[in-house]
Amino acid sequence: MGERILLVEDDARLGAQIVEHLKGAGFEAEWWTEGRMLLPGELPDVGLVVLDLMLPGTYGLDMLKALRFFSEVPVLILSARNDTLDKVRALKLGADDYLTKPFWPEELIERVRARLRRPVLQRPEAVLELGPLRVDFQGREVRVEGRVVELTRVEFEVLAALARRPREAVTRQWLVEHVLDPEREGTERTLDVHVSRLRRKLSPAQCVETVWGVGYRLVAGDGS
Amino acid sequence: MKLRLRLALTAMAAVLPVVVAMAYFQQSLRERSQEEVLEAATLARVQVERSRCEASPETWRPRPSERGAPPPRRGEDGRPPPPRAPGGDDDGRPPPPRSPRGDDDGRPPAPRSSDEGAEGRPPRQGGPRGDDGARPRAFMDGPDARGRAGSSTPSGLGPSFFEDGRPSPGEGDGPGNGGRVPARVEHFPYDARFVSLNPRAPALSEEMKAAALDGTVVRRFEQDGRRMLEVLLRMPWEGGPCAFILARREEPPSPSLLSLPPLKDWSLLVSTVVASVVLALGPVVRRIRMLTEDVRASARSGYEQPVAVRGRDEIADLARAFQEARAEIQARMAHQEAREQGLRDFLANTTHDVMTPLTVLQGHLSAMQQRVGRGERVAASEVASAMSEAHYMASLVHNLAAATRLEAGAPHVQRSPVDLNDVVGRVLGRHQPIARQQRISLESGVPAVPVRVLGDVTLIEQAVSNVVGNGVRYGREEGHVAVVLESTREGRFHLRVIDDGPGIPEDERTRLLARGMRGNAARTRAPEGQGLGLHIAHDVAQAHGWALTLSPSEYGGLEVCFSGEVLSDAVPVSRA
Repeated sequence: MGERILLVEDDARLGAQIVEHLKGAGFEAEWWTEGRMLLPGELPDVGLVVLDLMLPGTYGLDMLKALRFFSEVPVLILSARNDTLDKVRALKLGADDYLTKPFWPEELIERVRARLRRPVLQRPEAVLELGPLRVDFQGREVRVEGRVVELTRVEFEVLAALARRPREAVTRQWLVEHVLDPEREGTERTLDVHVSRLRRKLSPAQCVETVWGVGYRLVAGDGS
Repeated sequence: MKLRLRLALTAMAAVLPVVVAMAYFQQSLRERSQEEVLEAATLARVQVERSRCEASPETWRPRPSERGAPPPRRGEDGRPPPPRAPGGDDDGRPPPPRSPRGDDDGRPPAPRSSDEGAEGRPPRQGGPRGDDGARPRAFMDGPDARGRAGSSTPSGLGPSFFEDGRPSPGEGDGPGNGGRVPARVEHFPYDARFVSLNPRAPALSEEMKAAALDGTVVRRFEQDGRRMLEVLLRMPWEGGPCAFILARREEPPSPSLLSLPPLKDWSLLVSTVVASVVLALGPVVRRIRMLTEDVRASARSGYEQPVAVRGRDEIADLARAFQEARAEIQARMAHQEAREQGLRDFLANTTHDVMTPLTVLQGHLSAMQQRVGRGERVAASEVASAMSEAHYMASLVHNLAAATRLEAGAPHVQRSPVDLNDVVGRVLGRHQPIARQQRISLESGVPAVPVRVLGDVTLIEQAVSNVVGNGVRYGREEGHVAVVLESTREGRFHLRVIDDGPGIPEDERTRLLARGMRGNAARTRAPEGQGLGLHIAHDVAQAHGWALTLSPSEYGGLEVCFSGEVLSDAVPVSRA
C-alpha cells in the first residue's frame, strides 16, 4: 500500500506507538505533535488524517473545520472523551470516523484500511472477479477458473447477492426474503439446500463461506 | 426603631397636608361667607333705602350703615334685640311707597320703557313682583329662600324682596357666621352706566363694570395695610342713580391664616396620631424582631430548627415563607448530600472495580517479565489474558461513565441519527483483537443499506459492545459470537448478538434485566460477571424505547436482541 498518513497526536508515547503500528501495517506516517491552523497548501500530500481532539495549540475540531474548507481527505478522529456531542459535532464538521481511547492498534489499522478502501468498494461493477470466480451480473454468466458454470435461477441470484457485497457476510434471512421465490416455500433450510448445490457446482473453488450465526459470505477461496 | 421612626414620619407627612387643606378650606369658607353677608346686607339695605338713595345719590349713605349695618347682616343676631325695631320699621315702611316710586323713577332713565311700562303698571302694588318677572329664576328660588329668610326678618314683605333679588340667596347661616366683628361699611351708588353722583365714589375699572352686568363682583385688596372687601352689585331694578351699589368694607383683622389658633389644635392632632402609630407599632416591631431572631437561629442550626409561625397576618405569612424557604433549602441540601454520597460510592466502586483487573494485569505482566528474564518463552495465553484484563478495564470505565449518564436522566441522552451498521462495525473492531486472542470467531452481518436510528451513539455503542464483550469474554475457546443486524419492512430493526457460550439460566436472565438492580449487586464479576454490562444495555434500550430480550440461542448459548424503530429516510444521514 504505502499510503501516507498524517497523525496529529500530542502524547509522545501514544504517538510513537501509533506511528510504529502504521509503519508495521505498511503505511508511511507523518507525525505532528501539536495542532496547527491549516491553510490551503499546508496539508502534506496524505491519503488520510488521524486527528486527536485534545491538542495543544489548535483544538482538533477547529483544525478539522479549517481542513474541510479545502480538502476532502478522510479524517479519523481519536478522542479520549467518550462523549456523544463531540462525536456528533466531529461528524457534522466532516470527520469520517472516530475511535475512542483506549483502542487496540489492530482496531486503528483496521479502521484506517476500511476508510482508505471504501470509495473503491462503492463503485457498482458489472463484473466481479474474486479469486478463481468471475460473475457477470448483466450476462448472468458465472465462470470458475474460466469454465462456465450452469446455475439455476435461484442459485445465480444467491451467488449474485453475495457477489454484490464480496467479503461481507449476508444474513440468511435477507437471502431468504430477497432471493428465494416468495410463492414457493422459502425457508432458511431451502436456502441451505440451494447453497450446498451452488457450492458443489462451483467446486473446486471454495468461495461461498458459511458465517456462523449470520449467513454466507463470498470470499476468494484461497484463504485471504 | 427605624420602622417606628419611619411610620411616625409618614403619619406626620400624611396629617400635615390635611391640616393645611382644612385651614385653607376654613379660610376660603370664611371669606365667602363674608362676601355673602356683605352682599346680602347691602342688598337688603339699599332696597329699603332705594328712595333715599335715588333722591340724593351724591350724598346718600344708608342710614343704618353706622348703627344698622351690623344688625341686618346677622339676621339672627339682629332679630332678638327688637329694641332696634326701627330697623324693622325701616324694613316695613319703605316698601309700599318705594315700589310705585321705584317703578316710576326707574322708568325715565331706562331706555327700555316699553318693558318697564308693561310690567310696572298693572301690578302697582306688586312692583317687586314686576321685578320678579324680569328675573324668573329668582322667583323659583323664592319659596325656599323666602322661607328661610322670612325667619330672619320680621317683616313679611321685606325678606322676600331682597331674597328674590339675590340669585343665590342660599346661605342663611352666612350672615350668622360672618359678621361677628362689627365693621364699617361704605356704600357708593352708581347708575346704569357706572357713573356715580357721589364724589367720593371710586372709579370702577372696565373689567368690574363688565363683570357687574353679569352679576355681583367681589374684589379684595389692601389699602393702607388694611384688607378691604368690595362688593359691586346690581340692584333688582333697572336704571336710576342707584342701579349699582358698591359696598366696601374693611375686613376684620382676620384670624385668617393657620397661625394662631390652629397651631395648638393641629399639633395636638399630629402628636396624637404619631403617638398612636408608634404605640400600635410596638407589638408589630416586637414580632418582626422575634421572627428575625428565629430565622437567624434557624440559619445557625443549619436550617434544622424551624421558624415559628404565630398569628394569621402578614408577619405570619412572612414566617411561613421563611419556613417554606427553609424546607426548600433542606431538601436541596439533602439532595446534594445524596448526590455527594452517590459520587463517593461511585468513586469507591470504580476504584475497586478497576483495581481488581489492574492487579490481574500487573500479575500477568510481572509473570511475563520473569519468564522473559529467565529466557523462557511467554505463553500466548498469558498475553491474551493480560490483554483481556486491559480490555475489561476499558469497558468497565466506559460502562461506569454510561451508568452515570443514564442515572442522571433523560437530558443527558442525546438524540441524533445513528448508523447501526457503523456501530456494529466499530464494536466488532473493538473486540476483534481479544476475540482473536481467545480464538473466538467474531462475525457480523448487516444489510447493504445502512440501518439508521435516532439515539445516543455513545450509549448505543456501549450497549452493543457490552453484549458482544460478554460473549467474547465468557465464550469458550474456538467458540463463536455473531452480530446480526436486520431491518423489517415494518420499519423496525433487530440487532441480535448470538453466541455458543455457556448461556445464562432463565431465572438469572430475568434477574439481570430486573429494574432497580444497580450498584454493587450489578457490578460483581462473579460468577458470570455480566451484570453491569447487561444492565446498562437494558437501561440504554429503555432510554431509547427499544425492547431488549435475552433468550437461549439456537446454538446453546445466549441470544440478546435489541429491537426498535428505524429512523425514516427523511432525516439526513450521519454516520455516527
